[in-house]
Amino acid sequence: MNHDLSRLPDIIGRYPRSPQSLIAVLQDIQRDYHFLPCEALKETAKALQVPLSKVFSVSTFYNAFSLYPRGERVIRICTGTTCHIRGAKLIQYQLEDKLSIKAGQTTPDLKFTLEVVNCVGACAMAPVVIVNGKYFGSVKVSDSKKLLRGSKDAR
Amino acid sequence: MVHLTLNGKIVQAREGEVLLSVIRREGISIPATCHHESVEAFGACRLCTVEITKKEWNGWKDYVTSCLYPVQNDLIVDTHSPAVVELRRTLIDLQLARCPNSPEIRQMAEEYGITTTSYEERPDGDNCILCGLCTRICDRMGFAAISTVGRGYGRRVAPPLDEPPPDCVGCLACALNCPTKVIPYVDKGTTRVIWTKQFELMTCTGCGRTTITRDFAKSLGESRQISLQYFEKCDDCHRRELSQTMTRIVSWQREEKP
Amino acid sequence: MRVESPRHLAELQQAFHAREIGFAKKLHICCGPGCLASGAADIVSKFKALLKKRHLTDFSLEAIKETGCHGLCEQGPLVVIEPDGIFYTKVKPKHVETIIDSTLERNEVISELLYREPHSQRCVEHYRDIDFYARQHRIALRHLGRISQYDIRDYLAQGGYSALAKALTTMTPDQIVSEVTTSGLRGRGGAGFPTGRKWATCRNAEEQPHYVICNGDEGDPGAFMDRAIMEGDPHSVLEGMIICAFAVGSAQGYIYVREEYPLAVQNLQLAIDQASDYGLLGDNILGSDFSFSIKISRGGGAFVCGESSALMKSVAGDVGEPRAKYVRSVLKGLFDRPTVLNNVETFANVPVIINQGGERFAELGMKKSTGTKAFSLVGKVRNTGLIEVPMGTTLRQIIYDIGGGILNDRPFKAVQTGGPSGGCLPESKLDLPVDFNTLTEAGSMMGSGGMIVVDDRTCVVDLAKYFLAFLLDESCGKCTPCREGLYQLHRLATKISDGEATEPDLDKMEQLSHMVIIGSLCGLGKSGPNPFLSTVQYFRDEYLAHIREKRCPAGVCRALIRYDVIAEKCDGCLACISACAVHAITGKKGQVHAIDQELCDKCGACHAVCTRHAIEVT
Repeated sequence: MNHDLSRLPDIIGRYPRSPQSLIAVLQDIQRDYHFLPCEALKETAKALQVPLSKVFSVSTFYNAFSLYPRGERVIRICTGTTCHIRGAKLIQYQLEDKLSIKAGQTTPDLKFTLEVVNCVGACAMAPVVIVNGKYFGSVKVSDSKKLLRGSKDAR
Repeated sequence: MVHLTLNGKIVQAREGEVLLSVIRREGISIPATCHHESVEAFGACRLCTVEITKKEWNGWKDYVTSCLYPVQNDLIVDTHSPAVVELRRTLIDLQLARCPNSPEIRQMAEEYGITTTSYEERPDGDNCILCGLCTRICDRMGFAAISTVGRGYGRRVAPPLDEPPPDCVGCLACALNCPTKVIPYVDKGTTRVIWTKQFELMTCTGCGRTTITRDFAKSLGESRQISLQYFEKCDDCHRRELSQTMTRIVSWQREEKP
Repeated sequence: MRVESPRHLAELQQAFHAREIGFAKKLHICCGPGCLASGAADIVSKFKALLKKRHLTDFSLEAIKETGCHGLCEQGPLVVIEPDGIFYTKVKPKHVETIIDSTLERNEVISELLYREPHSQRCVEHYRDIDFYARQHRIALRHLGRISQYDIRDYLAQGGYSALAKALTTMTPDQIVSEVTTSGLRGRGGAGFPTGRKWATCRNAEEQPHYVICNGDEGDPGAFMDRAIMEGDPHSVLEGMIICAFAVGSAQGYIYVREEYPLAVQNLQLAIDQASDYGLLGDNILGSDFSFSIKISRGGGAFVCGESSALMKSVAGDVGEPRAKYVRSVLKGLFDRPTVLNNVETFANVPVIINQGGERFAELGMKKSTGTKAFSLVGKVRNTGLIEVPMGTTLRQIIYDIGGGILNDRPFKAVQTGGPSGGCLPESKLDLPVDFNTLTEAGSMMGSGGMIVVDDRTCVVDLAKYFLAFLLDESCGKCTPCREGLYQLHRLATKISDGEATEPDLDKMEQLSHMVIIGSLCGLGKSGPNPFLSTVQYFRDEYLAHIREKRCPAGVCRALIRYDVIAEKCDGCLACISACAVHAITGKKGQVHAIDQELCDKCGACHAVCTRHAIEVT
């Protein structure tokens, strides 16, 4: 797959050209492209003078990075302890069923990505689901359809 | 000099030395699968864990990896306390569950009286025990062609992007130092394949045997400032050539003498 | 504007304070994590839009303040009208206009938006009279909900940065270290190491340069105190760090923030920029010859990076793999240089200690655990949210007096503290005074302050399995006991919850747990088996029920339960049928539904959606 790499020099240029900048650069690439294209990893390695193996190691170690394209709408289900005991698994099953994918996957039409995340620190409103950065609290099993539409009336 | 008690005996050690080197010098055998003299200690396999205490600790004990722990005066070290032996046995049992088919691990397990693991075997696992020697030695060689990938139970060793590694020169340092011989490579004619990357093996102009890969020679040439020509002969032929030269010199000297 | 001297700072503080009391009314809209999750952003924009149009006579638009977490998240979104402290709960966009009309314009209190005490159902008008707040003692959380999270002027109006001025002009670095030592402050990140001693070691370390790092990688699931502080009161963290840097002789600091906290990164960066503009960060702070700057280092989403050596590798751009700390990180830390690493809450306490003196701080709490501690009180408790109490407050006081007891009056079962490194304490431990030592002795630990209350509908086997799965996912995988041991422990826990385990399996888990504890490289592995060990210590019967009777008493473990429709209660509303993912429920509208046990996968969705409690778990 070819990606528009013209934005890369700008992203890499934001940080000092040193191995220390590796995670920050990868985060910005991830934010911009919603994943880390292979070509971008190679460019980053070259620009920061880091072995490509280390770039690969870092990009597979941290949860924030994805080596595969993600969907337009990223649904993250919090599975922190509080969300777990308040039924996050149920929400996960419902969404997996509705989208016919498992957590960690993206629908073939690249519309949705379903992810689980280990606690987002909104425990008081458990269970919590985040759709493209927007928080939804006290989610119920019956809310799954609304979540897919990206709208859930606040309580 | 530092004085410490090792298994009941007072021994001497150099300042800054780690426990493992003292233990080995005293002829005590403990396993350490992630340890290698040429790279920094890592502390991943945990097999070299020993029990330490001091008089003033009032009976409190600690468990430390001897490959990393610096010697200290008055330290009391036990390499085979019941808890340490139990830990070592458990660790080997866990490794056997991870690599049930590895002859090296099986043999080590047998020494501890384990024939089959008491844990659940890893489904379709390979023989990699994740000691990290391959990646660390590759780093030390200055190539850093391979690395660990992912984390946790799914951690593995791989070339970047699972493609032929661009920085690999085919030196085999990873494969030859692997304690469970899990990194495959094939030498066939004048080609070598490792990590799915193909290399040209150089041929000795003296005897026609294959030597190192051209990429490795180039890299050694650059980093150590050795002429590429040097690598066109194998070690044996270099040695033979040298001895022939020496013979010639000696014979000249003899001719000159009378 | 640059503040050139402590005197200049005092003038500014006074001016901003005067501006604050100049507002006839202020609108404090909580934008903490909980309130945002229940829609606070919409409330803010609606207030702004309407008030812009309305031009109220004695109300300035600048008096709309987006504050940090007020704490009582369960009741959010919260809107407080100051200076009276009128406290509105569960505010929806439709209420905004009414609040403007009644309270802002006519000084009338809207009773239906007021908080009701859970037991007496009494309406409470003012913030300060609510039991939840009245029983707390806030130091680290002192400004949360009281100042705008975006505006340094609000922090200065509260006397902010005077501790820094005091430290820079009237104290020597040694005096600062000794003041912190006197306070008895211990690291709030979990281990409880004495902060003063850490600072002293770093100060005396010969190697240069020295670094100061703030650990904002609040990874414990169920804890969000640090998130709330970083977002709601970022300057208190910065001020604490700058004082620390002056004390230990550092010119460069880092704040390591979790990837999951984008708002914390945003607010901290804003605070750093504002503080730099005011000359409170950067070169020649407050006109002195001391210079210090702070960079934010965003984490990549790895729990293990809360461990100090892993965190420092991550700041350096590497994978977060811990190393053996036989040489402590305070001597050999970031880039192998001496480094002070404290967490967010610890730094937030520092300005108060400098201002009021270490002795006064040490008077609070217990002898060996001084001061207060912030907790996130969550789970099956009525008042979920953020609290701060003196050390030594009992679990019962926290859960019942502040937390209002268990949700829906179900029986209390356990409280989980310390996250994946901690444990579960049963009812018999409720009168335990909470401090670093007592919790550890009881088989749990303080951790960073997550306190998760569970009732009889939570299965401890499932909970232990949950934590093992969490750690398995988050282990870096470097050392054998953690990587392989936690995997095997999780397999064995799964066997128990599937009803396939035998009693020797339980013994095997306990033996393996002890080996993982003594064998692992870092704290993650060394404490990983704690949730299992503490539950088996206090709830062995529940484990045995799974093993001997193949029964899950809490009705959670899927292999051991069944769902049935209670015919008398079912009104045939079809809700469960549409919720069932495997189409195991049949029935027509208005007729009693039935569950096909062959098809049912025991997910519990039917039980969750049924409003008539017509589905039972056995």
